[in-house]
Order: sequence, then structure tokens, then C-alpha cells
Amino acid sequence: MFALGAIGLAGALTVASFVAPNRSAAAARTYLPSDARDVVARVPARDPREVAERAALAGSPDRVELAVELARADIQRARSLSDPRYLGRAQATLGRWWKLAEPPPDVLLLRATIEQSLHDFAAARADLDLLISRRPDDAQAHLTRAVVATVTADYPAARASCAAVARLAPPLIAAACQAPLDALAGHADDAYHTLAAALAAAPRDPSLRGWALSTLAELAIQRGDEAAADAHLREALALDPDDAYARAALADVMIERGDATEASALLAGYEQIDNLLVRRAIAEHRARGPEAAALAQRMHERIAAAAERGDRVHLREEAMFVLAVDGDAPRALAIARDNWQVQKELADARLFAAAAVAAGERDGAAPIVEWAARTGVHDARLERIWR
Amino acid sequence: MKRALLIVMALAGPAWAHKPSDAHLALAVDGDRVTGRLDIAIRDLDAAVGLDADGDGAITWGELQAAAPRIAMYVQDRVALAGDADLACPLALGDGALVDLSDGAYWALPVSARCASAPHELAVAYRLLFDIDAQHRGLVHVAGQTLIVRDATPVHAALGAATSIGSFVREGIWHIWMGLDHILFLTCLILPAVFQRRGKWAAADSLRDVTREVFEIVTAFTLAHSITLVISAIGLVQLPSRFVETAIALSVVAAAVNNLTRSVDARWAVAFALGLLHGFGFSAVLIDLGLPSRELIGALLGFNLGVELGQAAIVLVLLPMLYVIRRTLAYQTLLWAGSGTVALVAAIWSYQRCFI
Repeated sequence: MFALGAIGLAGALTVASFVAPNRSAAAARTYLPSDARDVVARVPARDPREVAERAALAGSPDRVELAVELARADIQRARSLSDPRYLGRAQATLGRWWKLAEPPPDVLLLRATIEQSLHDFAAARADLDLLISRRPDDAQAHLTRAVVATVTADYPAARASCAAVARLAPPLIAAACQAPLDALAGHADDAYHTLAAALAAAPRDPSLRGWALSTLAELAIQRGDEAAADAHLREALALDPDDAYARAALADVMIERGDATEASALLAGYEQIDNLLVRRAIAEHRARGPEAAALAQRMHERIAAAAERGDRVHLREEAMFVLAVDGDAPRALAIARDNWQVQKELADARLFAAAAVAAGERDGAAPIVEWAARTGVHDARLERIWR
Repeated sequence: MKRALLIVMALAGPAWAHKPSDAHLALAVDGDRVTGRLDIAIRDLDAAVGLDADGDGAITWGELQAAAPRIAMYVQDRVALAGDADLACPLALGDGALVDLSDGAYWALPVSARCASAPHELAVAYRLLFDIDAQHRGLVHVAGQTLIVRDATPVHAALGAATSIGSFVREGIWHIWMGLDHILFLTCLILPAVFQRRGKWAAADSLRDVTREVFEIVTAFTLAHSITLVISAIGLVQLPSRFVETAIALSVVAAAVNNLTRSVDARWAVAFALGLLHGFGFSAVLIDLGLPSRELIGALLGFNLGVELGQAAIVLVLLPMLYVIRRTLAYQTLLWAGSGTVALVAAIWSYQRCFI
């Protein structure tokens, strides 16, 4: 009894030593660099044109076309640098129009895009509906509306928007909009072949292809063809190694087939990005890798930092982590349930189901069963979890 | 341009590599005095007051220092504290320094203020950055609460009845429990206490002897770190933090190695000598908490008391357990494997703290 206690204590001390490596006894300490040339932070290099535009906008704050251009540049920057701070800057630039019930159409589109990124899907949807009523031929508005409607499980609206996209945009975009909806309705085979054919026929535009390949991989996964998904995602990554979406999906494929070490290697060096950090923490945990404890610690810190500012935009990642690394299935189930209130993609459904099964509360996943029955979706991963 | 936008905006799940923008305002209220620190991300300050003088995207320490007066003006303009009856507590700013938080470097600005009377409620008007970044949040940490500021509306913190000494006691306890190096050091000193040398090493016969030895060790450690805590907190002697942190890690190595080699019998002497180092570490924490100058003695006493309470709790849990198992194989395993592991881990810390 006591022997067990002693061994337990020794174990706990050892684990504790590695869980908090080099966590110094004190809180964050201030310091003064010794060299005036030391670089303390990096920001995007100054763009003279943008500076001039900002000055012009400050001089005449009513010039909506300037505000729109500046906000659009910040939204692009938020995406390319994976830095949400620039979304807040874009929102501030549009501040004069942000709270209007009916701002100009260009502002509506950007406002909806920012709202969507902040997971305020209801507000985004309302703005897109309004925009489309005023500009029925705005392809971007229809495409974003299709995405928002899909996430919130309003499939008739998503279909209507994809039909509009088909009328207004190139065939590959139309196919990539439509195929996931067909797959969700239970026609994954047809959807896969249609999108594959559109991809083969499309011009070689790398950014477009990467997106279509990731979508195609997701359809392959639904059909249970993880090998094809692996190949599509590798092709997407070859086109753009910074495609975090494809990298995350490929890591999922590897983890799914039990290659946690390979997944960890794929994600090494990309831990800055939340979606990739959570997957690397899971992969290292599964592989019992040397960095497992440090990565778990980092992920805990990110979750705590988001909670401290009152954010709950990372529920999906949080539930994944709590389920796979903390091993706290009941808590994961509670988070997955909250997440399902916000977003209803297939990935969210799988997570919800996995947490319910792990917690021994299959009844807890009733909303997923109901959703699957209503849509008619067939998903190989979901069925494996449920079996 | 149009087409690129079409695609990037279509992906539902953007991948974020950073937090959105936060600034931290940590305040301690002590009578009519408020002290604390404001941490603002360097990248945010660049957007607010323009740090990157040459526009190359790399903000240097020199550029930051040159902008320090502008930063101070910006903060003076947009942060205000008020006590009861909304009477202003005029703000004074100290010299800024850098601090590394989880998402990069921040400008850490000491703040202090004096209210007309000791406030029961503190009003914090915080208007930094909202006009530049609508998702910016000011996180005000005061009296054990975190208030999230989302716009220019002032927030109010009830200060409650808890005395500031009480909060320093709490900080002291937490510091011991959270600072793994102190726990490991203490554990290493106490582990062999249930064995005593009488000609040769053997399990101790009476709990009284063991308790006395542990009492000596803990008293020596306490005395030593109290001495250095005081002389360092009042500014008589101050050592660079890298040196102190490295030395503390080395002290853990020394205590663990001593368990393996049994070279020094008088562990109270080890506890005293190395305890001097730990005191410097404690004082750094206390200074980071924002040491009130008028209630310095109370804060020191409170923090030290907290440290002792935290220590005593660890000893009270550890000692009876060790005493009961002192004749078993489990104890030997714990002593040798535990000390060996701790020595190794602390050696790695020493290396990291010194060179990385």
C-alpha cells in the first residue's frame, strides 16, 4: 500500500519534472535587451501605398471605397499570416459603417466575412442574405453564403447558393461548392467522381486546385477511401506547403490509420498554428513521443489564453484535445455538444460521436443520430466510431 | 485579385497562428495606492504609435526606446483610474521594459496611482487600441478577478474586504506550490531524514528524532531565504535573474546529488547555504507582483508567511509517509531513483536557464 504510494510519488515527481520543463519559479519576468539593434518584434513591412490610403481616409473618413480596400487588405493579411489580429483591424477600419443596418454592399460582404471568421454565423448569414437581395449576381456572396449555410446545416439555402455559384463562377468552383452537399445527402460516390472530373478538366490554377483537392480528399474519406484522401492531400501540399487546411487533414488521415509518429513529423515546426498544434499534441501523445508533455502544456496555455479573453471560437480544437490527450471524455462530450450548437460540419459530428462513445453515453449523441438520419449522410469514419 | 479573394474566403475554418490582440493591466490596491503593470504587445503599439521608424518590418530595441515617450503619452491619454465617488487617481508611469508572453514580446510599463482615499471600488477607463483593432481586449487583473474590457466603457472592480497582506500570503503559498524547483529542493532535503547515521546509516528509530532533524532543515532554509528575500526586496542587493534562476536549478542538483553521495551529513547547512539563493528568487516574484512601498513590511511578512505555510503543508504530507515506509524497498527506490531523476532534470534546467 505504502510502497505503491512511494512509487506513485516518485512517478509523479518525475512526470512533474518533465511536464513543466524550465518553467522558472517566477512569473514572466521583464528584461532590457543590451543591443539597440536587437529585433524585438516583426510586423509586415510598411506599404507606402497603404500608408497614403490610410492618411487619405483619416482626412476624409466618409470615403467608403478606401475603407473597403484597406479592410480587404487586412482580411487577406489575416489569412496569409494566420493572424486574427488583422480581422480586428479590418473591422475597426470599417467602424463607421460596422453598426449600420444597411451598409454599402462592399461593406456587407467584408462584414459577413469577418463575422464568419469569428464564428458569428447568424450575423454573417443575415448580412449575406441582405447583400444577395441587393446584388443577386455577386458570386463571392453566394459562395460564402453556401459555406455559412452548410456549417449551420441549412442545406436548402446552401444548395440555392451553389446553384447561383454554378451560374456565376468557373466550373471547378461550382463543383467544389456542390459536391460536399451531394455527399452530405448520401451521394458521396457520385460527388467524388463529379468533382474529380471537374478538377481534371480545370485550368491549372494552384490556389483553386489546392482547395478543390482538399474538398475531394474529404469526399474520399467519407467513402472510406483513406488512401485516395492521402494522395489528394499530398498533392495539395505539394502545390502549397503552407496550406494549413490540407496539412491538418493529412495529419488526421495518418492518425486515423495509426501512423501517429508520421503525423507528428508532418506537423513538426507548424505548432504556431492552432489547428496544427492540437493535432501534433494528439499525435505525440498517441506515439508516446518525447515532446508529448511540452505540446500538451502549450495547448493548455492556448486554451487558457482564449478563455481569459472570453473567446469560445476554438471549441472544436478544445474538444479534440480534451478527448484525445486529457482523456476526459465527459468533458470532451460537453464541449463537443456546445460546439455542435455553433457549427455542424462532418468533423464536428465525428467528434461529438467519438466523445459520446468514449464517455459511454451513446444517448448523449442523439443530435448526431437525428442529423445523420435527416440528411441521409454516409460517412465511413462516423460509422467506424459508432460501431 | 478578385479570384484569389474568392477562394481564400470560401474556406470555413481559417487556421490561426496567433491570439487576437490582448493587453494586460495587472493592478494591486493597497490603501489609497495602486501599483501594477500594463503589458501591451509590441505589434499593437506599432499600429498605435508607429514604432517601425525605417518601415522594414523589423522593430528593433532602439526603435522601441525612441518611441517610449510617445507610448507613455498614448497610455496617459487613454487609461485612467478612479476611486470612490469617481474621484480620479492620477496615473504615473515608470520606465518600460520588455516581457515575453506566449505570443511574443510585450512592452511592460509599470503604473502607479494615488487615490484621494482608500477606494472600495476601482473604476478602470481603458481605451487603448479599440479604434485600430475592434477585436482588441483589455484584460484588467485586480483583486483576484479578471475584467474583460471590450470598448471604451469603464469597468468597475469591487475591491472587497481582503487585505493586501492576505493576498501576499496567498501568493506565497501559490509560489511554493507552483514553483517546481522549490518543491523538488525541499523534497530532496527531506527524503533522507528518516535515515540517520549511527556508525552506519540505518532507519531512524523514533519519529521525534526525525521530526527534529526536519525541523532544523526547514528552519535553516526559512531563515536563509528570509534574509536574502528581505535584503533583495528592499534593494540592498540585487542579482541578475538569469544567474539566480540558474543557481536555483543548480541548488536542486546539489541537494539531489548529496542524497546519492551522502557527502554532507549536516543537511541543515546545505539548506541554509542554498536557501540564500532561493530568497533571491522569491524576491523577484514579489517585485513582479508590484511591491507596495508603504506596506513593504506587511507584504514581505505576508509573502514569507505564505511561503512557510506552503512549505509546511508539503512537509506534513511527505514526512509521515516517508517515516512509515522507511524500512521498505519502496523507500530505497524512491531515495535513489527519485534523487537521481531530480538531479538529472535539474541539471537540464540549469543548462536551459543559463544558455537558452
